[in-house]
Order: sequence, then structure tokens, then C-alpha cells
Amino acid sequence: MSLRYSLGLAAAAAGLAAPASTAASIQQVLLPGPTPYPTQSPPLAVGGAPPPAALSFAVHARAAERVRAGVGPGGELVSLRVLHRLVLTGKGDYLIVVGAPVEDVRAGAGSDSQPGLRTGQILWSGFSSGSKVLAADAELRVREARELLPLRLRAIREGSRYSLTVTNATTIAEIAYGGEGLPQQLAELLDRTRRESLAGERLSPAYASVKGFVRARKDAPRIAAPLRVEGTLHFPSAPGSARGGTVHGKTVSFSAVLGDASPLSLRVDVSGGGGAPRLRVVARPTRLVRALTPPRAASWAVAVRRRAIPADLLLRRLIDARMQLVRSDQYQAFLSNPDPQGANRTVYVYETATAAPTAAPAPNTGSGGGNELVLTLAILGSVLVAGAALVLWAHS
Amino acid sequence: MRRLAFLLAGLALIVAGCGKSSGGDSTRRLVIAVDVPVTGSPYVAQTIKQGVELAAQNLNGSGGIRVGSRGYQLTVKLYDNHLSARRAVEDTRRALDAGAVAVVTDGTGVDATWQLARRDDVAVDIAYDGGTGLVDATARPNVFRIAPTNRGIAFRLAEYLIPRKLKVALLSDDSAYGRQGAADIGRAFSGNPEAVALKLTVPAGETDLSPQILRVRRSGATALVVWGQPPAIAAVLSAARSIGWNVPVYAPPTGADPFVRQQLADHPSWVDGLTFASGRMTAEIGTAPFLNFQSQYESTYGVDRVGVKNSAGQPLFQPPEFAMYSYDFVHVLVAAITRADSVEPGKVLAALNEVTTQGANGDERGFNEHSHEGVVDDDVYFARFKDMIFSPVADDALSSTLPPIPQTARG
Repeated sequence: MSLRYSLGLAAAAAGLAAPASTAASIQQVLLPGPTPYPTQSPPLAVGGAPPPAALSFAVHARAAERVRAGVGPGGELVSLRVLHRLVLTGKGDYLIVVGAPVEDVRAGAGSDSQPGLRTGQILWSGFSSGSKVLAADAELRVREARELLPLRLRAIREGSRYSLTVTNATTIAEIAYGGEGLPQQLAELLDRTRRESLAGERLSPAYASVKGFVRARKDAPRIAAPLRVEGTLHFPSAPGSARGGTVHGKTVSFSAVLGDASPLSLRVDVSGGGGAPRLRVVARPTRLVRALTPPRAASWAVAVRRRAIPADLLLRRLIDARMQLVRSDQYQAFLSNPDPQGANRTVYVYETATAAPTAAPAPNTGSGGGNELVLTLAILGSVLVAGAALVLWAHS
Repeated sequence: MRRLAFLLAGLALIVAGCGKSSGGDSTRRLVIAVDVPVTGSPYVAQTIKQGVELAAQNLNGSGGIRVGSRGYQLTVKLYDNHLSARRAVEDTRRALDAGAVAVVTDGTGVDATWQLARRDDVAVDIAYDGGTGLVDATARPNVFRIAPTNRGIAFRLAEYLIPRKLKVALLSDDSAYGRQGAADIGRAFSGNPEAVALKLTVPAGETDLSPQILRVRRSGATALVVWGQPPAIAAVLSAARSIGWNVPVYAPPTGADPFVRQQLADHPSWVDGLTFASGRMTAEIGTAPFLNFQSQYESTYGVDRVGVKNSAGQPLFQPPEFAMYSYDFVHVLVAAITRADSVEPGKVLAALNEVTTQGANGDERGFNEHSHEGVVDDDVYFARFKDMIFSPVADDALSSTLPPIPQTARG
């Protein structure tokens, strides 16, 4: 999907470039963002046959999600819940289908309505008289959703030492294009992208002027959503020391941004503590700061005026930054928002699970499924018994 | 060796006989049973039956249902439950014996019949009674409903009336419908006891409720909610208006029953202002789908005459609201059969949780694992009578978006 997306982007750029190259030496190329996203999911895809979902043009939705991942002693995922809260504004009908590998769902706190459940779908249907809160508390099947979570956790305990590695798992390789842009324009686009990023806004569409041909970059940049991670490890007794974190009594706390020109993983090593800790890690897709900070100037425009910065480096910086912001925006919606223009915010919370891992659900085969299995086994058993009797009798 | 060959042949026959027969049914008909109070509540019975028949006729006319390589035609079998649970049980047994793939009912006796149908994995659809507890997707997985629920009606009435600072008298008759409604409306107002002036049960068969209405008036009530059968609503209106008390009266869907207007035909002004809550007949997309359905219905069965005229002397007819619900269920059922690619009841029952169709009025109809209600509470609207004709009210967010439905006879 990533490759297709990137090739599409390059093709679009080339398409723009080809006719232009014969008429003029400068092309307008579309920069990444706000969409499409580089992969199909997140948000999680619709399962089963989608009904004719409809959100009236007069109704808008913003989404706030809290993804609660239960992890085992080694950091492995054992349970997954999502609190998905849609706030509708406007007057009109709605039929909303939220696709997810959902095991069960119930109304979340403050919901004005009850969610419906179908195979792979959470359903909402009704009328909004001006504003309405639709809150779902959904239990998801781990096996089908774990690859789409933004963090991987790995914990190891050896003797009195405990180490936790938290890795940003949103990285993908993308094909990007390059070319010789106009430095001042690129600087202005970097400043605009930076302003949108710092304001936490979704990117607005933007074009850049490129002299001559647009080419695919030889290096496929590896793009990750920047994630702000904050965590605590609560031990049975006060640890002796911690590297990568700070000890406060029995608790070791740590925080970092994974991505945004910073490392994509963090590691916390703890000595002592008297046993396995209770873990809590909170991750939020965040804005880009470091990757868009202008070099020794208040803005990119000023920086370019002060000293020459190669245009291809500016274009590369701009495209890579926008790809990261698109990826960050993608992870703001773990479950889908029916309003494509609606704002999304998602917080991912990883905590030590107290319950046993969720068993994979049996496929819904209807009430007759069990009977069919019994019948099939009975027939097979009868055939085997009859066959054995037959052989014995035939040889008698 | 011959003994072995005979035995193998015999064994093959035994094994083949273990499977459910898929052949031998040369007619390839699927039976939908309709169990309604033909004698007891003829208007309700007729409209539900005709809704099912119209859907079956349309589907059969367009080639029937294709399941795998086989085609099926729908057959409708009518049973009269006389508003009696005992008769409903007998009817359900007979319907199951006839091989019904679903039973469509007004709701009479469902507390007793659903378990019978459950044994055969046969779906039961309620097309009229909104009683709470009749439908429970977990406890009664084969019971579905496409009709407004009492809970939704009661909630919407409370939502509509409480902000108006009225002192509401909650009246109910002593029929099963009235008792169920009393419980629901009581729950809906339970968070606002200051809005309730009085709760009173009135006898369902009593035509003169003057003493009860006098008591209600003395309680300081400034509005009445009457949850009962049509005769009780007519009797309350008659008693109140005859003493010159022009108190606003609110009712569940039974307020729209032609019987109320027939009873008060000599005093049409007494009906003015009666407001009832029911499922909306038209969807957001406009009136066209419902009017198309109404046109089809009337060209097949004629109009459902109310039996009264407006002040201009025009005869009035009743829009086929409840026919729409039974009509929609047949379409959802057929969508489930198609999805299951089987007419095996268990598979059809499971598939009923997974399909959505567009209803006769353009609204989506469907069920899911958590809800077997085909009319969502949000779709309850309010309509008010004037000159014997009802129109959506203007002071409710949903109702104000709905156009009036023509009710005067054409041509």
C-alpha cells in the first residue's frame, strides 16, 4: 500500500511535470498531505458487508479515542479495548458504521444512544437534533489489531535487573520524489507546515514549484509518526537505580518523543525493585518540532535569506516532514470517524494486564453451527464404526 | 463379496439419509405466517397482513428469491389470534407445522410463542406492539420488532413535555397495553417527579370516564398523557371536552387509530389538539419513498378509510404506517435469506443480525447482535390533530423536519 501510494504520488508529480517540461521549465507538484494516508489502516477497516452508511451533510463528527492495550510480563499484547467517542453536531439522520475486529461493544459513559454490533462492525443509527454523543466501549480481537498499534513493548527481567524497550512501530518506507525547487518558496512552505504542525492542525494541501524534471529519490525515506511517550514502572519496592528513567520511591518514570528527528525507541534499565513492575505507557501522536526547526533563525524564510541552503535539501526536508505529519494524523484515528473532515484525537494507553489473554472468538456461524459439528462428528463416527464392523464381518 | 457390495450400498444410503433433504419440494415455497387479531383489532390485523402480502407480491413478481441454484416464492398464511395469547400459541404451532420461515405478529402472545418458534429457529417479528420486554436480543434471539417501542415513545414524550413545565397526569387503561405503557411512561418521568400531577388507571371498556377526569382536573394537571387502547383515549377526550376542559392530551400511537375519530365524529373539535407519538413515516430523504409505497398499497388494497370526514366534507383515509413495518420486515427477511444463501431457519436467523435494507419510507431497516429493534427511538415523532387530520408538530426538532402526509381521499 505504501509503495502504491508513493508511486501514485510520483506519478502525479511526473504527470504534472511531463506536459509542463515541454512548455516551461517549472512544474507545480503536489506535496504530501493531508491525505491519502500511506497505508489502509489505521483506522481499522470495515469487516463484513458494509451497509449503506450515511452521515447527512448537515451533521459533522469529531472523534476522541482512548485505546487501552493490556500487556503481559514480556510486553506482549494480551487484550485491547477502545473507548470511541463521537460528538455529532448538526441536525439530521445518521447511520454510522465503524469497522473493527470487534468482539463486543457497549455504550460508553455519557453516550446518548446504544451501539449495535455486527460481525466486524459497530453500528450507530438515529437522529441528531443538534448535538449528540455516541460513545462506544469496544473490546477488540488482539490478533487482528495488534499490528496496527503504534508501539511495541519488550520487557526482560534477569535476576534483579529489569529492562523495558519501547519502540515506535509506525515506520514505513515510502518512495518520495526530489527535484530542484525554489529556495524561498520552499522556505515559506516549510514555515507554513511548521505553523500547522505547532498548532496541531491537519495539513492543508500545498504545491511546490520544481525546476526541470521531477525524479523519484533513490533513497526510500523511512517515515514514522512522531509519538510522545510517557510511562511509569511501579515496582514492589524502591529500585536501586534506573537508566533512561527517573526513580521516585517505588516508581520509575520516563518520557520521550519517538520520532521527529529523535530515536525511534527508548530503553529503561532498572536495578532492584523487588519483582516485576506494574507498567503504564501512554503514547500520543504528536506534532513535529525538531524536524521543522529552522537552522539558527526564527523562520525558514529568514534562514534562507541569511545563508544559502541547497534547494534539494529543502524539498527533501519539506516532503519528509509532511509525510511524518500525515502518518501522525493517520494514527489520530485508530477507529474511523464517519466525517472525513472531522477532527480526531487518540491516546494509546498500555498497561500491565491483570486478566488472562482474550481468547480468539469463534466465528459466528449462527445457532446451528454447534449442531452441525456434532452431526458431522456423529456421521464420521458412525461410518468408522460401521466400516470396522464391516471389515470384521467380511473377513469372518 | 456380494455381501460386501450390499453392505456398502446400504451404508451409503444410511449416510445419505443423515443429511437434511434439499429436494422433493417441487413448489419451492417459503411460508411466512401472519398471526394477527382479525377479530379483535381488525384495522391492525388488516394493515399488518396487507403489508406482508404486498412485500411478498412484489418479491414474487420480480422473480422470487434465489438461493443457490434454486428459486423460491413467498406464500403468506393468515392466522387469527383473537387478541388471545392462547390462540396465538395454537396459531404458532400450526404455522411451524406448515413450515413457516417466520411469523409476523401484532405482538399478541409473544411472551408464550417465542419459545415455540425458538425450538425451530424460526424468527418472530412484532409489527405493532411496542411493549418493553417483548424483544431482547440476548434472551429471545429469535424475536425482532419493526415498530416504535413503548420505551422510545415514553422517553420522547417525557423529553417533549418536561421542558414545557406542565403538570402531567399519567393515565393508562387496564389493558395489557395500558399496563405496559404505564410502566414505561412512569420510568420516563421518574427523574422529574415534579412534572407529574397524578398517575391513574382507568377501566379499558368504560365509555364514561367523567368521575376520573374530574379527579384529574382537581389534581392540578395541565396536560394528560393517556396510554391506552383507542376507546380509552376517546373516552378521556369525551369526558374532558364535555365539561369544557380544553387540557392538552398526549397519546401513544393508538391516538392515531381511526377508532378515536370515529367515536368523536359528532364532536370533531374535541379531537383538535390531540397529540400522539409514533414512528415517523417519512425519512430525511423526503416523502417520495413513502408516497410510492402508499400508492402501491392503495392501488392493491384501496385506501384504509378512517370513516369520518373533515370540515370540508372530504372523506379521510389512514396512511399505511403499520403496513410499512410488516412490509419492511419481509424485505429484511429476504435479505437475510440471500445473505445466508440458505432457507435453513438457523442460518436465516443468524443472518438477520447482519443485514440492512432500505425501508419503504427510505429509512434503513435492520437488526444486529445487540438490538432487534428495527425502529430506533430517535425516529419517534409527534403529530397533532386539526380538523380530523394529523400533521407533525413544529416545536420538536425531528417532527419539524417532517412534511405532512395527505389524508384526504383523492379523485
